[in-house]
Amino acid sequence: MAPWSGHRVIDLTGLAGAYGTRLLAALGAEVVKVEPPEGDPIRTYAPRAPGVEGPESGLWWAFLSAGKKSVVIDRSTAAGEARLATLLATADVVLDDSPAALQDRPVSGHAAVRAANPATSWVAITPFGLTGPRRDWTTSDLVAWASCGLASTVGFPHSPPLAPAAPVQLAMHFTAVNAAIASMLALRGRRRTGRGQLVEVAIQEAMVSMAPETGVPLFLDDQVPRPRAGNRRPVTSPFGLFPCQDGYVAILALQPNHWQAMARWICDETGNEGVLDGVFDDIAVRNEASEAVDAWTEELTLAATKHELFVEGQRRGIPITPVNTVADLRADPHLAQAGWWRDEEHPSLGQIQVPGAPFLVSHQWWHWSVAPTLGQHTAEILGAL
Amino acid sequence: MMDDDHRVLAGLKVFELSVAVAAPCAGRYLAYHGADVVKVESRVNPDVARLFGSAWARTEEYAPLFMDTSPYLPEMTAGKRSIGLELKDADALAAAHKLIEGCDVFLSNFTPDALERMGMSYAQLHPVNPRLIHVVMPGFGAEPALPYYPFRAFGPNQAPLVGLDALTGHPGEEPAGIASVAPPDYVAGMHAVVSVLSALEHRDQTGDGSSVVISQMETTVSLLGPFLVDHAITGRTPEPSGNRIPWAAPTGVYRSLGHDRWVALSVAGDVQWAALVALVGGDALTDPAWATLEGRLAAHDAIDEAVGVWTAAISPAEAAARLQGAGIAAYEVLDHRGVLTDPQLRDRKVYDVAPSVRFGRDLFTGHPIRMTDTPASVPWAGPNMGQHTREILVNRVGLSEPEVDALMERGAAFGERVPEMTVRRPFDPWYEIVGLVGDDAPSSGKAS
Repeated sequence: MAPWSGHRVIDLTGLAGAYGTRLLAALGAEVVKVEPPEGDPIRTYAPRAPGVEGPESGLWWAFLSAGKKSVVIDRSTAAGEARLATLLATADVVLDDSPAALQDRPVSGHAAVRAANPATSWVAITPFGLTGPRRDWTTSDLVAWASCGLASTVGFPHSPPLAPAAPVQLAMHFTAVNAAIASMLALRGRRRTGRGQLVEVAIQEAMVSMAPETGVPLFLDDQVPRPRAGNRRPVTSPFGLFPCQDGYVAILALQPNHWQAMARWICDETGNEGVLDGVFDDIAVRNEASEAVDAWTEELTLAATKHELFVEGQRRGIPITPVNTVADLRADPHLAQAGWWRDEEHPSLGQIQVPGAPFLVSHQWWHWSVAPTLGQHTAEILGAL
Repeated sequence: MMDDDHRVLAGLKVFELSVAVAAPCAGRYLAYHGADVVKVESRVNPDVARLFGSAWARTEEYAPLFMDTSPYLPEMTAGKRSIGLELKDADALAAAHKLIEGCDVFLSNFTPDALERMGMSYAQLHPVNPRLIHVVMPGFGAEPALPYYPFRAFGPNQAPLVGLDALTGHPGEEPAGIASVAPPDYVAGMHAVVSVLSALEHRDQTGDGSSVVISQMETTVSLLGPFLVDHAITGRTPEPSGNRIPWAAPTGVYRSLGHDRWVALSVAGDVQWAALVALVGGDALTDPAWATLEGRLAAHDAIDEAVGVWTAAISPAEAAARLQGAGIAAYEVLDHRGVLTDPQLRDRKVYDVAPSVRFGRDLFTGHPIRMTDTPASVPWAGPNMGQHTREILVNRVGLSEPEVDALMERGAAFGERVPEMTVRRPFDPWYEIVGLVGDDAPSSGKAS
């Protein structure tokens, strides 16, 4: 039994909401995605499936819209706006990530819809909030990372700051999960009050909430800037990414026992006995000598593959992980043996292997089905109004 | 629960056995929306956030209160209560079980092995409280037969494991690494909140509790969905792209006036491109092939160079304002100082100030979900370590004062250290100066 079955969620979002409404759909809500006649922009985002034409080829769409229903409404006409308003008033929750000024449109905005149905909640996802001097500014994943301080900490000193994993659009997904939580809180709240409500999630604020390292309290406390320092960090040593035969591994010698195991490993593999000197048990000494510690570590890592280093390092009690690519993850033995992947029969993509549930629960909560074709549910949903 | 507390989760009781970020992040969401979150703490094995302390507190004078001084503490524990219990002691464990009997949610990011040893696994707690929502957040699942089950990873090495670091970097450079960010901790924490709210709904319908396992690896790797599906179909593996994305060009950061100052911008669509051409002016961007996305993606380097000439002559704040004025997404790449003085964050009162026993008042990042009818808030900042031990053991567990004294005397429980010793944070006077506290901002947390 799915926890949110019986609830209708209407999805007016793009990337800043789509992962959240995917979760709501998989947990049982009826998620109705409203699309313009030419299809949602997410349908056009690369990567796209080769050999498939038109709006069903987008793999962002295939992933993010799994389990949702597609309804086409042309919002550029008055009749379309009126029809949308009627639909929105049937919702338990509406999620919208339109520009702030457009979320309160006369016919289909949050005030009108909530007046028509006070039990409806509206989650307003905006770049910077519904208020404030920059309420009308627009954003993107990169701009979100810039506006929370974190982009300034990622990258090498000699090249420009970076968004973490730009292709993945993490800031958008991070906001979207907040929006899913906001929707669930609004529904829980309605059980007490009987009323829906307006809930705001600003992308900049969602990102600031995961950025204590660049936030005001830490900065005021130690007054230490944290500029981008490449892939080694001066917090402890060794700490960062180290080259190996087929890529990189990530090592974090945080606790004393981590370093002692690391030193023993370096000695065993390279014959370096100096590394066992107790003086290096002190993090401060290792940081002072980080060039040497890094060189000794590289002598070890360069002689093996990332998977060999991962398994042997972990066996020795060291927090070491491979720097995996998507190909590595698709071949990963843990994900495979956990039965994480799902096989899906997709009408236009055929038999495909897709990501499984993001967490496990002792009930049959997860309900997965494929992403809808453009307008697949228009007649069903609008016909019932 | 106070009668006038309208927060959505008022009355919910949460037992949090946690360390660092992932589980505390989840508890923080619940506390802001009204839950009574009790964080269990140990002096034998303290939360690393307590061990950090604060640089200014590394003196003999402050030694007794050092473990209350880290600025990470209010970030992770504001609005929670702290109970000091050493669960290896049988009586302390019995008290914890008694407390859990009356709780709705158990939340932990200890390893499954450690929870089993402590008597806190789902199998051990289900008989204590069948309605309990038991959420654990191990790095690699809770199934001992799986290959990575015994492995250890902290947030900074979960991100490379799940593919994020390999996608972070400029083409042709080494991977940059994102250890300063640690998304897996927060992603897992938020999925824990999703699981708790869903489990409450489930319990309302069926009367049953839930066992939830949030394996940080699976939870975070899910976010790579489109690329995992693409690989399954075509065998393609994405490469790091710097800051570029395939559907909005140009997208990037550009050097601006000043030392190491940058502006980020993203041009979505041909209309915005025309606006950028008009803004930058001159002949630099007039190649007709660049009027389409395909043309701009193909000529991204040349476009970057021309845009960079324009941004280099003005401050990043001015560049962002002019770009936004033309309808183009842009922002200064804020560093710490930039976040401190950002006019939008200040206007929105994104940082909270609330009472603190140790500091009088303390500062921490506010909550991103702003509910207009039932606003989130927390009544106090981070508690002292063990601040609420006695009141919880008496009022919630039902021990007598002498029983509490006996537990404390033999170290099975502990209260706060030197509660009479208070100190102002060195930057306390800054609150007014930097506009974090205004006339309309109540000192006990903001309303929305």
